[in-house]
Amino acid sequence: MVERLATLVGIYALLGLGYQIVFGQLRALNLAQGALFGVGAYATALTALHLGPFALLVAPLAAAAVAALAAPPMLRLQSHYFALATLALASLINLVAVNAEDLTGGANGLVGFGLALPRGTTLTILVWLVLVAAVVAYASVFKGRMGEKARLLRDAPLVAASVGIDAGLWRFLAFVIGGVCAGLAGGFSAALTGVVSPEATGFSVMLLCLTAVVVGGARHPLGAVLGAAVAVLLPELFRGLQGSWLLAYAAATLAVVLWAPEGLTGLFTRRRALSIPLVVAPSSGPRRLELDRVSKRFGGVEALRDVSFTVDRGEIVGLIGPNGSGKTTLLNTISGLEPADAGTITLDGAHLERLPAHAIARHGIGRTFQTPIEGEARGAGLARALATGAAFLLLDEPAAGMTDRERDLLASQLRGLRRNHGIILVDHDVELLTRVCDRLVCLDSGKVIAVGSPAEVRADPKVRASFLGVPA
Amino acid sequence: MAYALVALGFVLALNASGAVNFAHGDLVVLGGAVAVLLAAWLGLPGFLLLPLVALALAGAGVLAAHVAILPLARRPPEATFVATIALAAMIEQTLTVTMGAAPRTTPPFLGSGAVTIAGVPLGLQPLAIVIVGAVLVAALWFLLERTQIGRRMRAVAADRHMARAVGIPVRRYVTLSLALSGALAGIAGFLLGHQFLVTPTQGGSHMLKAYIAVALGGWGSVPGALIGALAIGLFETFVSAEVGDAWASAALYIAVLLVLTLRPRGLFGEPVGQRA
Repeated sequence: MVERLATLVGIYALLGLGYQIVFGQLRALNLAQGALFGVGAYATALTALHLGPFALLVAPLAAAAVAALAAPPMLRLQSHYFALATLALASLINLVAVNAEDLTGGANGLVGFGLALPRGTTLTILVWLVLVAAVVAYASVFKGRMGEKARLLRDAPLVAASVGIDAGLWRFLAFVIGGVCAGLAGGFSAALTGVVSPEATGFSVMLLCLTAVVVGGARHPLGAVLGAAVAVLLPELFRGLQGSWLLAYAAATLAVVLWAPEGLTGLFTRRRALSIPLVVAPSSGPRRLELDRVSKRFGGVEALRDVSFTVDRGEIVGLIGPNGSGKTTLLNTISGLEPADAGTITLDGAHLERLPAHAIARHGIGRTFQTPIEGEARGAGLARALATGAAFLLLDEPAAGMTDRERDLLASQLRGLRRNHGIILVDHDVELLTRVCDRLVCLDSGKVIAVGSPAEVRADPKVRASFLGVPA
Repeated sequence: MAYALVALGFVLALNASGAVNFAHGDLVVLGGAVAVLLAAWLGLPGFLLLPLVALALAGAGVLAAHVAILPLARRPPEATFVATIALAAMIEQTLTVTMGAAPRTTPPFLGSGAVTIAGVPLGLQPLAIVIVGAVLVAALWFLLERTQIGRRMRAVAADRHMARAVGIPVRRYVTLSLALSGALAGIAGFLLGHQFLVTPTQGGSHMLKAYIAVALGGWGSVPGALIGALAIGLFETFVSAEVGDAWASAALYIAVLLVLTLRPRGLFGEPVGQRA
């Protein structure tokens, strides 16, 4: 009895640990984890008579295969669509389990394979060995820089891309590795019970997994283990409650979400400040950023029309123009957040315009955003862009909300940076731009209407007209 | 048409809270269960029960807002997802414990007979569903588009910070939206419960269909949800008549995955911008 419970805790802990990678680390609400558990259980049950104990290895492979097959289209989806897509996948798997009677035995499920698999103490030891290995691996992976990257991905995905983190790859790996854990747990559960029915793919397994992870703590390495222990042992303690244990269980989950958002393990650990992973050492790298007839449309609106100019290392180019003239769009286009529709963007001749944001960041273009991450000190965006080792910096309104003294400080910092960097600076403060920039580019309705020294551009009648709103 | 009510309630709650309410399907089931109980107690005819069920479920919606949605307003949407999933499980388990797993049937709205209109025999209950549904959809449209309350609800949905900044009491409007959402769910549960029976475990599939309807119709769009729900209804009716229920459901899920693959923001795009 005790042994059976210990095995059960181990199985659900493994399922939950896999889920922590997807849900905890990347905050993606994957509702197919329970179904992948079922896939593992069926895979083991179906192959046990042919492969013996090795059928347990088929489980993670089968679950990983399903996850990898389903993942690519789903990973691009925003949070609520991702949840829906995984829910649809889970429902589909459940439907197959119930209806594909030749394969799965239908509603009755599969029996009679248990003797071919490890049982009793052997199984308990096996489950816990795998679990300990997985917990240690998880802890060491997410302890250092990887953990910081994951944190950046879930708290500030745009910033993550701007310092060169490939969100798509992360989510794919998390989904598949999470699936491997789920499949393995499913295989073990088939060995433990000797029966696999459609219930294994049902929503109750998913609920159990979600609850365990939320209650235990979504990211702490021992969160899933603690959560699974609570989830398995509590019902044993409250046997008197009979059928209503699920009710007590759901109430507990709700209470934890409301009052202990980091889960039980979170009560013991303190929150650390957000720190940014240093990706690349100081800048050598490319010398010239060149834009050639870059265009971008949003529906019927031409946000950028044939924008061409160059920035060399060692110069600061200021970007001015009225609100909505395309300044931020241009920075987004260069950094790959909004790919250009036409034209080329090259860095020492290497084309950037088709690359994803994280790859462009790795080529040496760092950027800051208008709105800082919540709770972050002013100037942290600049520090982060520098920390990537970028040769070119795209700064979006770094002086917004600054006092005059802070502006002076920023101006002298920028002059210092000019020695080693090429900078594109967007700001509304034309005085500041005039002081620090070598050249100004003026945009109006997505078109470059003037390029030149600050004095020339400010004297240009077209620029004056665009700012004052009268035709030239 | 009943799906449309489920989906409309879902989209109201979604817009108000900015997150998926996973308990919505269970509110539908709860509506059916309340109707069964009230009918047994009071013995009232269906059309008198309807306002009572709506009122009771509006109360449930308010409760849901205060337990699982308002306290989590400042946290990432996933917190609300998990809280409402827990709430859904609580409703389902409570119903299982109190009324048992056996299916029950709610009283019909007008009667269970059929009338013949222009030579076509029509069941009274499906007819009632269509009429009640159409009336409620029209009333909801009027509320949202033509009244100050509706404008404020839409303002809260579009941007809660901005709404607060112009002096709209956001919490009150979120609660109101959830009450309306609950009432719609309750009515839908009551109307569906006569034909399709009430079992505690149905909540998940109601929720999934509303979710699909809203995702296909365009996230947060009220007319989109309506079109999505009607499309699912038609799809299910015709496809299951051709190939059976299991294949119809499978085809629906596959269609959803395909649509999301090809149009990651729903069939009609996402008119209200990115929101979780």
